[in-house]
Amino acid sequence: MSDTFDGISMLSAIAVLTGLGIGFGALLGVVSERFKREDNPLVEQIDALLPQTQCGQCGYPGCRPYAEAINQGDALNKCPPGGEATILALADLLGREPEPLDGEAQSEATVAFIREAECIGCTKCIQACPVDAIIGAAKLMHTVIEDECTGCDLCLDPCPVDCIDMLPRSAPITQWQPVTTPAHNVIASDRPNTLGGVHVERL
Amino acid sequence: MSSAFDFPGGIYPPQRKQRSNQAALIEAPLPSRVALPLLQHSGKPATPCVTSGDLVKVGSVIAKREGLISCDLHASISGTVMEVTATQVVIESDGKDTWQRLPAMDWHSVEPYQLLSRLNESGIVGLGGAGFPTHIKARVMEQHAIHTLVINAAECEPYITADDLTLRSYPAEVLEGAQIMAKLCAAERIIIGIEDNKPDAIEALQNALTPSLPIPIELSIIATRYPSGGERQLIKKLLNVNVPSDGLPADVGVLCHNPGTLLAILHAVRDGQPLVSRVVTLTGEAIEHPGNRWIRLGTSVREVLEQAGINLSGPNQSKLHQVIQGGPMMGTPLLTLDSPVTKLTNCLIAATLEELPPAPTEVPCIRCGECESVCPVALLPQQLHWYARAKDDDKLERYHLFDCIECGACSYVCPSHIPLVADYREAKSRIRIQRIETAKAEHARHRFEFRQARLAREEAEKKARREARQAQNRRSPTQASSSSEAIDLRGLRIAHAAAKASVKKAEKTLARVAQQDPNQSLDDLEMQLATAQENLRAAELQLAQAREQQPSKESP
Repeated sequence: MSDTFDGISMLSAIAVLTGLGIGFGALLGVVSERFKREDNPLVEQIDALLPQTQCGQCGYPGCRPYAEAINQGDALNKCPPGGEATILALADLLGREPEPLDGEAQSEATVAFIREAECIGCTKCIQACPVDAIIGAAKLMHTVIEDECTGCDLCLDPCPVDCIDMLPRSAPITQWQPVTTPAHNVIASDRPNTLGGVHVERL
Repeated sequence: MSSAFDFPGGIYPPQRKQRSNQAALIEAPLPSRVALPLLQHSGKPATPCVTSGDLVKVGSVIAKREGLISCDLHASISGTVMEVTATQVVIESDGKDTWQRLPAMDWHSVEPYQLLSRLNESGIVGLGGAGFPTHIKARVMEQHAIHTLVINAAECEPYITADDLTLRSYPAEVLEGAQIMAKLCAAERIIIGIEDNKPDAIEALQNALTPSLPIPIELSIIATRYPSGGERQLIKKLLNVNVPSDGLPADVGVLCHNPGTLLAILHAVRDGQPLVSRVVTLTGEAIEHPGNRWIRLGTSVREVLEQAGINLSGPNQSKLHQVIQGGPMMGTPLLTLDSPVTKLTNCLIAATLEELPPAPTEVPCIRCGECESVCPVALLPQQLHWYARAKDDDKLERYHLFDCIECGACSYVCPSHIPLVADYREAKSRIRIQRIETAKAEHARHRFEFRQARLAREEAEKKARREARQAQNRRSPTQASSSSEAIDLRGLRIAHAAAKASVKKAEKTLARVAQQDPNQSLDDLEMQLATAQENLRAAELQLAQAREQQPSKESP
């Protein structure tokens, strides 16, 4: 008697759980189709970490395409403007190992500057600029809006008369960063020898 | 009312106010030359509106405010403009001291907008040390309801007695200035918060308090403790109200003003005199005649100190070690005595080596917790110290670094002599610059996206024109070619709907943000909207073209 009862209860349990499984599975399936997102939120996050210079030094036409490529598994170390900090931030986000930078790190932020006396007004740099930071018209001299320039170098190559220089970006005095001396070596053995220049060796 | 409320922490450094509060407040002699920096306030520097060679009078505008938070600048002596650089305007005196005043105003009868425009033109900033433009603070009632105006006369830092002497010399004028500001922001009452180490100023105020004043004024004497003059600390002490961490006193209906600022407001309104001079405390052991002086803005610190009796050269040279601008706790040592007195200079301490000795060498933190018990904002200075040295910016923000008022109480009590506040200042400026960089990158991204959208739209338009031309040339539509191309009409329609939705979304965000804070820059949001519109235009073109090519399939 108890055996049959157990058998029925077991069967009913299996049936209920299977039913629940199928039901929720179907629900999840419908929901994932119904509320499908076109864009990948991870790509957005990667894109937010990139410096947005749109310079193409990574081999992709802009930061967003590179973000998509990273999401597909491309290396993290192809962004020279971002440098070490960007690689570390990306590695942290994606849980990958940070790699050394592929290429030369930029020492300081730069902006393009057009030597206006030499500009012939060919508009080639205007077409190359990824952020519309160059203004001018055909046969009229061009100039760079410093605040909008990302320092990507993309306008240098197209210029037929080489009249574009990369200059250090000027910063307002309110954004001055104090130069701080690193903390002293506070561990006694790290300090420079003080006893009259004689190094006291441990015997 | 002696207050029962209290803020956490605080310290009791030696006062040393005796040295400068004995002499009466006097006018300093006219300087022969002034250098007026264009940035004497928080916000953007003013733009010069004079050129070298121009003749100016005292009170002539020499630089106009630029941007949202900025302040006008006026000539502080009459004479000739000698030099205009990117950072300052230099004026050589003609010795006549001729004034150019604005018309006098009776503040009882004029409209609020007239008072506001007068403040706009007078170049007044908060004279307590932060230098926030007063005309912006006066417009606070457009966004917040103010019930109490606090006169911050605590002056808690050692050495400084500028507010003390201002109140002793002009008690009625300061109270009248407070009435103007209270009327302007529709406050119901005024509270003066003053520390009990200024008995003369308290007496002067008590004599000046008459029941005939239209808005009731209450005098609240608080115990001397550093930093009770901090805006948030004083509000907590007087009203037992906590100002929220990322908010302003105006969020809790309180407005704070310094007595010196209120006096300047009265002078600007009643006499039409813009801010061209201020009260500066000259003190320190290296000075022979300490005291408070009315000093014209732009006078060089060297000249001011020499008039106060300091010997910078010769046989009986004073034992000057360093000059500190501001108080000993929060001030900054001057690198050169040629820097000018600005709107923010409330005190100059010419200290000898014995008076303010340099801090001993820093040794490791022993985690004693002294700093934590004196912090008036109830932060954890020790943790902040570790994270600041490790440049762990996320942790710093989580531990509310930006709530630090840089009062220096933690550095003062630290037994290891760690310059904690210097660490915090550096970390703050680093994080601030990082935020600016992030905003810049975000801005570049929007511009890039806009460009991409524009190029796509132009491409679509070009294609549409080409198709139209071809269709006209052919006249006989060759159905075969178009039907063989598998045009994804459904996909295009979805893309079109998505583009429409994103335009609507961008419009909504823009409208919402613009309503919330009209002063904010909306460039990026406008750019996003333009990008969405470009995308929509391109999608429309593509869709129209596809429909033209497949007229049969379009109608179901």
